[in-house]
Amino acid sequence: MKTEGSEVILSINNVSKSFPGVKALDEVSIDVQRGTVHGIVGENGAGKSTLMKILSGVYQKDSGTVVFDGKQIEHTTPYQSMQSGLAIIYQELNLVNTMSVGENIFLGRFREMKGMKGTHAKARELLDSIACKVSTTKLVSELSVSEKQMVEIAKALSFKSKLIIMDEPSSSLTSEEMCQLVKIINQLKEQGISIIYISHKLDEIFEFCDIVSVMRDGHVIDTKEKSAFTRQELITKMVGRTIENEYPPRPLCVGDTLMEVHSINTHKLHDLSFTLNKGEILGLMGLVGAGRTEIVRALFGADKVRGHRVLIEGKPTVIRNPKDAKDAGFGFIPEDRKLQGLILPFSVESNISMASIRKFSRLGFLRKSLEKDIGARQVKALAVKTPSTKTAVRNLSGGNQQKCIVGRWMETSPRIFIMDEPTKGIDVGAKYEIYNLMKHIVEHGGAIILISSELPEVLNMSNRVLTIFEGRITGEFDPQKASVNEIMGAALGIVEGCV
Amino acid sequence: MQKRNSVLKVTASMLRDYLVLVMIALLVAVTAIVEPKFMSGANLVNIMRQFGPLIMVSLGMTFVIIGGFIDLSVAGTINLVAVVTISLIQPLGQVPALLVGLLIGAVCGALNSGVILSSGALTQAEALFLTFGMSTVYSALALLYSHGSTMHFWDIQKSKSIFEAIGAGRAGPLPLSFVIFLVILALLWIFQTKTTEGRAISLTGGNKTAAHLSGVNISRAIVVVYTICGFMAGVGAIVLFSRITTAAPVIGAGYETNAILSVVVGGTTLKGGKGSVLRTVMGVLLVILMSNCLDLLGVSTYLQVVVKGAILVVAIWLDNRKQA
Repeated sequence: MKTEGSEVILSINNVSKSFPGVKALDEVSIDVQRGTVHGIVGENGAGKSTLMKILSGVYQKDSGTVVFDGKQIEHTTPYQSMQSGLAIIYQELNLVNTMSVGENIFLGRFREMKGMKGTHAKARELLDSIACKVSTTKLVSELSVSEKQMVEIAKALSFKSKLIIMDEPSSSLTSEEMCQLVKIINQLKEQGISIIYISHKLDEIFEFCDIVSVMRDGHVIDTKEKSAFTRQELITKMVGRTIENEYPPRPLCVGDTLMEVHSINTHKLHDLSFTLNKGEILGLMGLVGAGRTEIVRALFGADKVRGHRVLIEGKPTVIRNPKDAKDAGFGFIPEDRKLQGLILPFSVESNISMASIRKFSRLGFLRKSLEKDIGARQVKALAVKTPSTKTAVRNLSGGNQQKCIVGRWMETSPRIFIMDEPTKGIDVGAKYEIYNLMKHIVEHGGAIILISSELPEVLNMSNRVLTIFEGRITGEFDPQKASVNEIMGAALGIVEGCV
Repeated sequence: MQKRNSVLKVTASMLRDYLVLVMIALLVAVTAIVEPKFMSGANLVNIMRQFGPLIMVSLGMTFVIIGGFIDLSVAGTINLVAVVTISLIQPLGQVPALLVGLLIGAVCGALNSGVILSSGALTQAEALFLTFGMSTVYSALALLYSHGSTMHFWDIQKSKSIFEAIGAGRAGPLPLSFVIFLVILALLWIFQTKTTEGRAISLTGGNKTAAHLSGVNISRAIVVVYTICGFMAGVGAIVLFSRITTAAPVIGAGYETNAILSVVVGGTTLKGGKGSVLRTVMGVLLVILMSNCLDLLGVSTYLQVVVKGAILVVAIWLDNRKQA
């Protein structure tokens, strides 16, 4: 589609790419206008990342043409594409942790900058231009995720980029940091820089993208101005089927007190106490780094924390390690699926069975037929899409991998299920299934502690929300009654809130 | 086209998986043709005897590597166990000496895991350096204990029949040391594949964090793998000095690298999680057959070292390719 008077900066024509066994891109065409924010949405495996990797030179296309800034490009290396003015900011940021901000921005180009003095001066200029106040001599390892992202953007600007691709930039940002990113994106747009913005999150797409392309199964399904899409239409096009709602109806089955937690104290958490009721989904809201993950890790015995008291159904319970927690009826979905949750080269079956070894062993010996049953049962119950239970879990999509972790704990029938970012980086369809599972869990007497950076997720799924700010609980809300502003205010440490 | 590709892929992965077996068969065939003596009964028994010390050490090493770690201290452990055990035959008698020797091996291994756990060194690289350090400690203890001198069987007046049997005895047509190996192999195989602790070791090696967060006791798994490794190094030491009837405090030199070589060549991945003691047997067989055949073909010892090094590099390279 072309608008009058606009100029196409990037034109992708009929690009195809195959990998053994899959056609990742099939005749894909997209035009990106100068000075626009072009959103690309699609489920995992839709081909978004493959397309971006072709643009940045990581992969080579099989056929088709790419015209960037009036020149046909046949990129060979990521560095060349950077120099031609096409920068890409990956989900997992590519910065050298042990070097300073300035050094990272001009990595490998210190001589062009006339030494370190020039490097830092020029880096300061770039950071100022995006209103980032981070010192250029600070080590990258000391930065927050959003600050790192700013550094990446500054780095992209240092190449005089005309097009910046952002691959799921918000997946580890909090709402506040997100606002900052939006500001910068708008600013870049005014400078005539185009942005390709890849995301799962529809809110973001609707908030600031100008044009949206929907991808599914290696095809571009539709490209339209944002205003021409309705939310429902976008979802339908992404998943190729109709999902009535993004969230199932909120489960309403809160019962008596199940767990009381008294005064967790660590160097990050200050005298934290709260209760959890039967059949309840308790949302923990807060900025990344506010201490949400630390709270649940302390509860679960993953970090060595002493001195707090936990009462489950009135009985004092001591949890020194995850094994104690498991015995006490906890389940735990960790924040980072691949690093903390799964054993990627292992089969679906062993990934599912690993928390319930005791269930399929006798006198220290394994009974593999029982293990097989466990694997098959959970794969069926959770509708995990996998060729077989023996398939390595690394070959599954993000959503199905997450289901394996849920299945692992379902097998232990937990009473208290801790879920730390359970839907991070998984597609809309799989998200909905996870939400349904959460509903199922609480309706069968379990309770869930939900941590999420996605505000709508917390608001739509929780029965009660606790806001955490700098290691303290700053508010307790009923998400059906409280306003978003109240909750966010408390999560940002601005006002104290109550039910 | 796609179908042919996948057939090729499957064949390639089969070849990689069973490369050791193919190479063993090739080695046997080539050597048997070039040098008919190779298939003689005497040479076969000789090969079985050579199996002795290296297989014991390698079997232990397999567990450490499946658990995601590595152990360079086995050389030091062998030195220490050998000199202490042989010196105790005279004052204590052979059975207590044997038991003390085995105990020292296990304690050395457990000590390694203690150092690793207490320092929080949960990466393979850290374990590499820590156990290297422990190896020098055990070797130095062996030197201090023995005053650097070599001890011989013929200096011992008391009965040393057990050790003589291990070194040169037969059980039917097979060398006794080979029978001992078969029994230990069966036990370790059952332990690795059939028990919950064996599973805990694989899970730990696969992803320590994920295993820990699933309630697997990874500390215990680490203690178990190192203790097994130390114990098996002790067994290896006893088999070794029984065969050569002397024990010098440097007797174990080179065993750590040869054991790692055998484990990796056998197909157990250095990345941890996956592997098998049976694979290690094939790895050891390949390493031994190769030196045996190179000996028979008259290849110089120095060149043999080059070949061994090259094989280790290729094995690790193939393993990395497989993961990619």
